[in-house]
Amino acid sequence: MFTSVENTIHELEKQKYICSKDIATTVYLALKMEKPVLVEGPAGVGKTDLGKCIAKSLGFELIRLQCYEGLDEAKALYEWEYAKQLLYTQILKDKLSRILEDQATLKDAVNKLTSEEDVFFSEKFLVARPILKAITNDITSLLLIDEIDKSDSEFEAFLLEVLSDYQVTIPEIGTIVAKNKPFVLLTSNNAREMSDALKRRCLHLYIDYPTKELEERIIQLKVPECGNYLIKEIINAIHEIRKFPLKKDPSISETLDWAKALTLMGCEVLNRDIAIDTLNFILKYEKDIELVKKNLHSIIVH
Amino acid sequence: MFHNNNIIKNIIIEEDKAKGVFFEFAEVLKKAGVDLSIVEIMDMMNAISHISILEKEVFKQTLATTLIKDYTDIPVFNQCFEQFFERKKGNDSLLDIYTLHAHSEDFIFTPEETSLLNSLIDNFLESHPQSFFKKSNEYLTKIFIDEELSSESGGAVGLSLFNKRSQFASAGANDSDYQELSPQLFEVIMGMIRKRMFERTMGSTIKQREDYLLNKYIYQLKPDEIKEMRELIKRFGQKMKNRISLRKKRVKRGNFDIKKTLRRNLQYGGVPFKIFHRDRKIDRPQLVVLCDISSSVNQYSRFMLLLTYTLQSLFAKVRSFAFISNLVEITDLFREMDPERALNSIFSDTNFTYGWGSNYGNSFNQFIQNYSDALTSKTTVLVLGDARNNNQDPGLDSFIKMKERSRNIYWLNPDKQHLWNWSDSIANVYIPYCSEMREVQNFLDLSHFIDTLFIQKR
Repeated sequence: MFTSVENTIHELEKQKYICSKDIATTVYLALKMEKPVLVEGPAGVGKTDLGKCIAKSLGFELIRLQCYEGLDEAKALYEWEYAKQLLYTQILKDKLSRILEDQATLKDAVNKLTSEEDVFFSEKFLVARPILKAITNDITSLLLIDEIDKSDSEFEAFLLEVLSDYQVTIPEIGTIVAKNKPFVLLTSNNAREMSDALKRRCLHLYIDYPTKELEERIIQLKVPECGNYLIKEIINAIHEIRKFPLKKDPSISETLDWAKALTLMGCEVLNRDIAIDTLNFILKYEKDIELVKKNLHSIIVH
Repeated sequence: MFHNNNIIKNIIIEEDKAKGVFFEFAEVLKKAGVDLSIVEIMDMMNAISHISILEKEVFKQTLATTLIKDYTDIPVFNQCFEQFFERKKGNDSLLDIYTLHAHSEDFIFTPEETSLLNSLIDNFLESHPQSFFKKSNEYLTKIFIDEELSSESGGAVGLSLFNKRSQFASAGANDSDYQELSPQLFEVIMGMIRKRMFERTMGSTIKQREDYLLNKYIYQLKPDEIKEMRELIKRFGQKMKNRISLRKKRVKRGNFDIKKTLRRNLQYGGVPFKIFHRDRKIDRPQLVVLCDISSSVNQYSRFMLLLTYTLQSLFAKVRSFAFISNLVEITDLFREMDPERALNSIFSDTNFTYGWGSNYGNSFNQFIQNYSDALTSKTTVLVLGDARNNNQDPGLDSFIKMKERSRNIYWLNPDKQHLWNWSDSIANVYIPYCSEMREVQNFLDLSHFIDTLFIQKR
C-alpha cells in the first residue's frame, strides 16, 4: 500500500507512470478511504494507464470491464449457465427418477424436487463476470470499468451495490460480500453525464493535459532515445499548438508518437520543414493542420 | 437528503472547532451553485484526516476530489478556493478572518443570542446599499450597534448585551452610557459582521455573475462580457448536453425484437425463456439553421450557432446557413473547425454583400432554389432574425414551401414582441406560416428554446 502522496508518485514512477500531485492525492485518498474513483478527462491523457500501473505497483490483479452500449448485468456481474444446468439434468435423469420414485403423489414429487433445487442454483452453475470475479477473488483486485459513459444509464444501477458496499446480491443464492475489497476505477470520456447516485459514491478525478515539466518527463521516460534538446522543442511546440482553437487537441499519446517518429527520422532539432511533414502525427483534421501550418513560424523557431 | 446540515455540523464542531472552517467553505461552494450533499462533506472530513493540510496542492486536490463531482464545476471551485484560502494584495483571506475571530462569540454569547445577532446583522446588511459597506469596519460596527441594538427589534439582545457589559466592564464606563461597549465585546461583534459580509459576497457573486450574463440582453453585452460569455456557453452547453442525453437514454426500450429473441433462446432449445426488446431509435431532431448575420442581430446569431454546435452530437444532422442579402451554407466550416474559429471565418467572409442590409425574401428564394434537399419531413427549421426586410419582397412563396417540406419551422426574433411590425419589420407576414415565432432576448431564452426541441413529440 502507498504510504503517502509522495510515495504514491514515487511508486507509480517505477511503473513508468509520471503523475501530478493531484492524481497522486486522489489515488492515495481513495486507497485509504476504500472508495472508488471516477476518472474523467480528454482522450489520451492516460486514464486507463493509471489503472494498469496502480495494479502493477501494488500487485493487484487487474480485472478490466470495457463498457459499450447494451452491456447488461449478464455480461458484467454474473450469469447462470443454463446450458450446463440443462445438460446436468439430462445426465442425472436416472438419478432423479430414482429419488422421485417412492413419492406417492405428484405434489410430494414436486416438494421433493424443490428441496433439491439448491443443487442447480449453486455457485457451480454460476459464471462469474468481471464484477463478481473482482469481489470473489482471493487476492485483492483492481476493477477497471473503462468508458462507463458508453454504457446505458440502467447499467449504472447494477454498479451501485458494488461501489458502495463491495457486495453482489444474487437472488437465488444470497449476498456475496467481497473477501478482499477491490479497488475500483471508473473512466469516462464525458459522452454523457453519470447519475448523481454513482458520482456520490466515488471520488472524482479530472485529468487534464499535463504541465510542460510533467510531459517532458513522460517523454524522457518513454522515449529515452529522443534527446533532451529535441524533447524540449517538441513539448514547447505541442503546448503552443494546444493553445490554438483546434477541433481535436494533440494528447499525450500523440506527443509520444511524434517524438518516436522524429527520433526514427534521425532529427536532432525540430525545424519547420520536418514539422510540416509530420504534423499529421499529432493533428487529425485537415483544417487543424492548415491552421497550425499557417502559424508555424510563431511555434517553431528553426 | 438533509438540506439542513446544522445537526451534524454541531456534533462535529463539538469535537473540533477548527473543522468549522471546512463547513464554511462548503457553504460558500453551495452559494456559488455547486451541488453538495452530506455525503460529499463527510467524505471531505474523512479525507482531511489522511493528509497534511500544510501542503497546499495536496490539500486543494483533497477538497476538489471529494467535493466536486462535476468537472464543469472545477473553475468555480478554483475561484472559491482562491478567495477563501489565499491571501491577495494585503487583503485578508476569508480564512484569516475566520481564524482571527474563530468562534470568539461562543465564549460570550449563548447559541440563541448568536443566531439572533446574526439575523440582526443580516437585516442590517440588507437595509443598506452596497456602497455603504466600503466604510471602515469600526464605523460599520458602531452604526450597527446604534441602529439595530438600540432599536425595539434589538431589545432582547440589547438587554443581554447590557448584562454582558457588566461582566466586561471597561474602566470608567458609566451605567447610563448604554451605547458604550467594552472593547472586547465590540471586537467580537465586529468580527461577526465581517464574517457575514464576506460570506454574503463571495460564493454568491460567482453565481450572480453567471445569472447576470445569461439574463442580459445579448445586444447590450460589452466586448469583454462577450468573451466571458463564450466560456460560459461552453460550460453551460456541456451541462445541457449531459442533461438532455440522460433524458434521451431513459426512453430507449422499444418493440419486441423477434430476431434477437430467437437467436438468444436457441440455447434453451428454442423455447423463448428470455424476451428481448429492440432499442427504440433515439429520436434526434434534424436541424436546419438560417441565421441573419447583419449587424442588428449578429451577436444573437453567433451565440445561437455556438450553442447549436456545442450540442451537435445530440442532433442527427445540422445544416447551417448564414445570410444578409445572400444566403451561404456554412455547415462545412463547422465540420472542419472548432466552432469559435468557424464563426470568425464566417464574419470575415464577404459573400454576403455587406452594406445592403438584410433581404429575407432573396435569401429564402435562394434557399429553396439551391438547398431544398436539406428539408425532409423530419427537419426542424430555425430562422433567427428580426424580419427587418428593408422594404423588399418578402419571398413568401419560398417561405411557404419551406414550411410545407419540413416538420416545423420556428422563428426566433430578438426584437421585443410589440416591435414586431414596427418600421421595416415584416414579422407579421411570416407569423401565420411559422409553427411559432418566439422572442429571444438573452442566452437563457435561446437555451430554453433548444431544450424544448427535445421534449416535444411528433
